[in-house]
Amino acid sequence: MKVSDLLASRRESWRELELLCSRLEGRDRPHGEIIARFSSLYRAACADLALADAYQLPPATIEYLHGVVGRAHNQLYRSRRFRFDTWARRLLVDVPRQLYRDGALRLAFFVFWGMFLLSLWLAYTVPNFAQQLLDEDTVHQLNEHFSTAPRSHGTPVHGGMAGFYIFNNIGIGLRCFAFGLAFGVGGLFITLFNASFLGAVFGYMVSTPQRPNFLEFITAHGPFELTAIVFSAAAGMRLGFSLVDTGGWTRSASLRRAGQETMPTMGAAMILFALAALIEAFLSPSAAPYGVKAAVAVVSAAILTFYVLVLGRPRRG
Amino acid sequence: MNPMSNAARQCDTRVEVLTPENIAFRYQVAGPFRRLPAYLIDLVIRVVVFSVLAVSLSIGFAGAGMPGMGFGLVLVLWFVLSWFYGGLFEAYWNGQTPGKRVMEIRVLSVDGQPINGLQAVLRNVLRAIDAQPAMFYQLGLLTALMNDRFQRLGDLACGTMVVLEEPRWFAGVTRVEDPEAIRLSAQLPAGFQASRTLARALAAYVGRRGHFSPGLRRDIAGIVGAELRDRLGLPRDTDLDQLLCALYHRTFAT
Repeated sequence: MKVSDLLASRRESWRELELLCSRLEGRDRPHGEIIARFSSLYRAACADLALADAYQLPPATIEYLHGVVGRAHNQLYRSRRFRFDTWARRLLVDVPRQLYRDGALRLAFFVFWGMFLLSLWLAYTVPNFAQQLLDEDTVHQLNEHFSTAPRSHGTPVHGGMAGFYIFNNIGIGLRCFAFGLAFGVGGLFITLFNASFLGAVFGYMVSTPQRPNFLEFITAHGPFELTAIVFSAAAGMRLGFSLVDTGGWTRSASLRRAGQETMPTMGAAMILFALAALIEAFLSPSAAPYGVKAAVAVVSAAILTFYVLVLGRPRRG
Repeated sequence: MNPMSNAARQCDTRVEVLTPENIAFRYQVAGPFRRLPAYLIDLVIRVVVFSVLAVSLSIGFAGAGMPGMGFGLVLVLWFVLSWFYGGLFEAYWNGQTPGKRVMEIRVLSVDGQPINGLQAVLRNVLRAIDAQPAMFYQLGLLTALMNDRFQRLGDLACGTMVVLEEPRWFAGVTRVEDPEAIRLSAQLPAGFQASRTLARALAAYVGRRGHFSPGLRRDIAGIVGAELRDRLGLPRDTDLDQLLCALYHRTFAT
C-alpha cells in the first residue's frame, strides 16, 4: 500500500484520538464506552508509530504521531495524587526506623538543641545579649505581645498572632529543608540560625516580667514544633549531603535517591507542624489552666520519644 | 529505560520515553521561555486570589466582630498559596497548574510516567532553593542549563521534568502539483525503490521547498539530485528540483 493511501485510512482515527484527548483534558468525566474507544485508538496509534519507519511515513507525519501518542499517553496514565493507604505503614513502621538510624537527624538534633540551650543560657545571663542578637525592634515586639496573658487572647492582635505563628513556623521548617540542598551546609547554617534566634527569644523572655505569659503560650506546642524544625533540617541536610557523599552514584542520581528517602521524614515533619499549629491555634491561647498545657507538652514529648526510640528501634527479622 | 543510553542518544531537547506498550516516543522538553510565562501566570493568579480572599475574609470577620480570626486565616491562606499552590494543582490536575495549562506544558517523571502527589509537592517546596539568590531563580536556571532535560534542583530531587504538550498540526504527504514532475516520475525505472534515508531526505526537501526561491531550490536539489540523475540514467538537462519532486511522488503518492 502506498503511503498516501495509508495516511488517508489512518488519518480519521488519529483525528478521533485527538478529539478524545481534548475532551479528557477538559473537565468532563469520561464514561466506560469513551475510555474503551480511547484506549483502542491509543493502542492503534502506538502501533502506527512503531511501524512508522517501516511504512516510510514522512518525517512530519512521524513528528505529528509522536505528539498525538504523547498527549494520549498523558491522559491514559494520570498523576497518582496522594496514596493515603500506604502512608500509615510508612509512618508507623518505615519512618521511625529510618529516623532512628539517620545520622543527619542526630546531627541536626544535637546542633539545634546545643545551640538553643547555649543561646538560651547566654540570653538569660548576659545582659543585652538578646538585644544584640535579635535587634531592638524584635525585642520590643516580643514584650508587647506577651504583655497580656494568653487567656485574654480574644483581642484582635493575639488571634491574628496564632495564624502568624502557623505561617511563620512551617515556613521556617520548609526553608530549613530547602536550604539543606546547598551541600548540607545551608541546612546547618539555617539550623544554627534558628536555634540561636529561638534560644535568645526563650532566654530573654524568661528573664523578663512577661515570663508567665510567655511560658503559658509556648509550653503546649513547643515539643512538636521544635522537633518538626529539627526533622525538616535533618531531611534537608541529608538531601544536601547526598551531593557530597554519593556512595558511588552520580551526583544527580544520588540526589534523586536522597529525595525519595527524605520524603517520609519531611512528611512526618509536616504532620508535626500541623499538630503543633492546631495546638498553637486552639489550646495555647485558650483559658485552660497551665497544668493542662504542661501536661500536653509532657505527653507530646513522650509520644515523640516513643515514636523515634521505641518504634524506630531496629528489630530482628 | 536506562538513562545512560538516553543521554548518549540525545542531542537536542527531545527526550525519548518507553511506554508500557513498548512504544518509544519523543517529548520535547520545555525550556525557560515556556516555563517563565507559566510561572508568571500562576503568580498573577495567586496574587489575585490572595487579594480577593484576603479582603473578603478581613471584611467578613471584622463584620462578625472577630477581626483577629480573619487576620489569622489570611495568613494561613498566604502560607498555603505560597507553598502548596503548585504542588496541589500538579497532583490533582495531572501535572499541570493553570499557568502550565495555558502554556501547554506538563510535569512528568523522567521515565515518562505521571508524577505522584509527593513528587508534585516536593518539587514545588524546593522552589525556595531554586529561587536563590534573590528570588529570581538564578540557581534553578543555572541548574536547568546544565542538564539535558532543563531540570531545576527541585526537578532533579524528585526525578521530574517539564515537557511540551501542544496539539500539533497533522502533516501528511505533500501533493506534487507540477505536471512535469508527475510526467518525470512515470519515466523513472520501474524497479526504483527509495531507501529509508533517501525517502526521509526527499520528504524533508519537498515539505520545505515551497519556502525556497528557484535559485535556492537549484542549489539544494543539486547536492543529491545530480548523483541520482546519473545513477538513474536520465538526460543531463533534467531539472533537478523536478527530479526530487518526481522521486517523492513515486515514493509516497503513487
